[in-house]
Amino acid sequence: IFFYPGTVKMHMAVYLVAMCRAVPVNDLLDRASQRSDKMHSLSTLLTQEMDSHFPPYGRMQMPRPADCHTSILQTPNDKEQALQVSESDLMSLARSLLRGWVDPLAVLSTNAITLPHPAKSSISSKIQELQEHSKSLADGLDILSGKMGPAAQTISFLPYTGGTDLGQDRVTILNKFNFLLSCLRRDSHKIDSFLKVLRCRAAKLQPELC
Amino acid sequence: EVQFFHQSKWLVLLCIHSTSAPESPRQFDCRSREKETFSCWWEPGSDGGLPTEYRLFYEIEKGVRECPDYVSAGENSCFFDKRHTSFWAEYIMMVVATNALGNASAQFQIPDVMNYVKPDPPVNVTVVVNSSAPSPFLEIRWKSPPNVDVRTGWVTPKYELRVKQNDSKEWKTVDIGAQTFFNFHNVEHGLLYMVQVRCNLDYGKWSEWSNTIFAKIPKHHQLEKYFWIFVFVFSLIPLLTAMYILVLKRKVVKQCLLPPVPGPKIKGVDVHLLKSGQSEDVVNALTGNQNFPPMAAWTEQVEDFLLVSDSDEWLLTDTFASEEKKDIFIIPASLHLGLEIQCGDSTVDLNTWEKTDDSKEETKSNFLNTEPINLPIEKQECLSGEEVSIQPNTSYVDIQQRPTLTDYSRVKEVNGDTILILNEEEIPHGSDAVKVKREVSVPDDYSRVKEVNSDVVFLEKGDSKPIMPHDSELSKGFCSKMIANGYVDSVPSFSVK
Repeated sequence: IFFYPGTVKMHMAVYLVAMCRAVPVNDLLDRASQRSDKMHSLSTLLTQEMDSHFPPYGRMQMPRPADCHTSILQTPNDKEQALQVSESDLMSLARSLLRGWVDPLAVLSTNAITLPHPAKSSISSKIQELQEHSKSLADGLDILSGKMGPAAQTISFLPYTGGTDLGQDRVTILNKFNFLLSCLRRDSHKIDSFLKVLRCRAAKLQPELC
Repeated sequence: EVQFFHQSKWLVLLCIHSTSAPESPRQFDCRSREKETFSCWWEPGSDGGLPTEYRLFYEIEKGVRECPDYVSAGENSCFFDKRHTSFWAEYIMMVVATNALGNASAQFQIPDVMNYVKPDPPVNVTVVVNSSAPSPFLEIRWKSPPNVDVRTGWVTPKYELRVKQNDSKEWKTVDIGAQTFFNFHNVEHGLLYMVQVRCNLDYGKWSEWSNTIFAKIPKHHQLEKYFWIFVFVFSLIPLLTAMYILVLKRKVVKQCLLPPVPGPKIKGVDVHLLKSGQSEDVVNALTGNQNFPPMAAWTEQVEDFLLVSDSDEWLLTDTFASEEKKDIFIIPASLHLGLEIQCGDSTVDLNTWEKTDDSKEETKSNFLNTEPINLPIEKQECLSGEEVSIQPNTSYVDIQQRPTLTDYSRVKEVNGDTILILNEEEIPHGSDAVKVKREVSVPDDYSRVKEVNSDVVFLEKGDSKPIMPHDSELSKGFCSKMIANGYVDSVPSFSVK
């Protein structure tokens, strides 16, 4: 066998690919759920930070979650339902929700800088961090879904139709911002719960992960 | 009449009191303890004096339903079991108060029950004091609340604990994450500590703090302390003893460690004495306090003459020599006498011998004459201005090597007892005289002639190389003999630099 630099590189590439494949699914799911956990933590902090200086809606004026742009997606709403959904479907749901928030996060990010709110800088940095985590998680789930059934590859399209402008006056802007954050918190909770159920289910041989 | 009036008042009062429809319920709150079920409570308004019934209706997505359970959660409550619990869905609650005279209702919006998740506190909190070295710590363990199901991944509890000294006011709080144990190290001996743990589900509301667990860190083992004190004291004793001995014997130690450097010493010479400069004492020191015999005029003495011969026969047969008391010095032919006056320097300084202009010839003495005057004088001259290294026991001065007489053919003249030696120019080469010359390094210039005494020419040793050992010995003996039989007319008065 001739010792070509080219063949060496190729062998190296094959070796590296083989190494990549050697990472177990459990480990990948663990990392994914850690990322989703962080995302949910950030979105929860965001809503709390918003509420600290923004009077909460009157009970009748609170925007309904059905108005969130992702509400059209049918998802399990309790534990029994979640445990009955297949792994591929759970993966598909998580990926769809993630994909659906790419645009709204960008809108939130641009508007956070000029938000008429005392904590706008902190809010802005958290939203940026959220965007990074979201992108990273989406990439990771793309790889993971490749190891699962075809249903995992299906992503529901959840378009955001709210536009880039949140409003003209301060109240409207703040209301819209607050509403979007509540929708975000809800969806980040869904993603986190689905992935953790997935992780537990994949780790049947390792119950300590759950 | 008065009594009737009172009674009618009573009736009037009774008639005034009336009932009314209830007021609408106030306040509404819900709570889910495990993210599977939830309960809601309301605060009733006034009941209008009549028994009032409260009913709850909720609408979720489509259809209105009534509360499935009014009992399990207590009064004025509604309990939603698993089948009736939906997360991420909006509940619109309506509470209706009804009595005989009417009803009142209030509506409450629950956008997401997830917002109301608040678990029970953790249970089975145990704190064990671990006293192992190097420092003690608290091993804190707990369990998730029993109604929380952690096996499915649907809910992930996260914990927080806090520790406080019993008499302190500030808690130290630690964020734990999802594990159910923690080792708390920031504790000290002999103190009592309080420990509490709480949890939350999915970054929801925190539970109440668990029951307080007390833990006391025991004080240091008394035995251990005594042991170390014991060891310390015992190691101190030899140290102190050593120091005590050192101090007592410090002189010995000092001598041992810093031995005194011996100064230059001349036997019999007291350096201090020399420094003080008393010449008499110095002289005594130098000469070793010899008591010189009383001086008699040497002129009264019979002159003794020394006969020099290079053969033993002459010695033995010479009656003249045997008659007189004299010393005969036999100089073997090959012997090169080394008469050296050591005047303290390695370069034998016989400059004092040098008398270039001196050509005095005295007929009456030869150089080996025991005539005291010459030698001592010479000695004097030699010694004048020079330090002398004298060996007191012998008290002689080494005299420089003299030329040997091997070839009497070269003797110029024998006048009586004197022997004239060595006319420079006449020395033939190749003979013993040459040897002599060389070894004695007889110079071509007479500047190195020290003295011409009678017919003898004293030659300076000059640059010649040192004498053979036995030569010096002989010379010494020679000298000593000379001196011993000689007289010193006076104490050599020389000054020592």
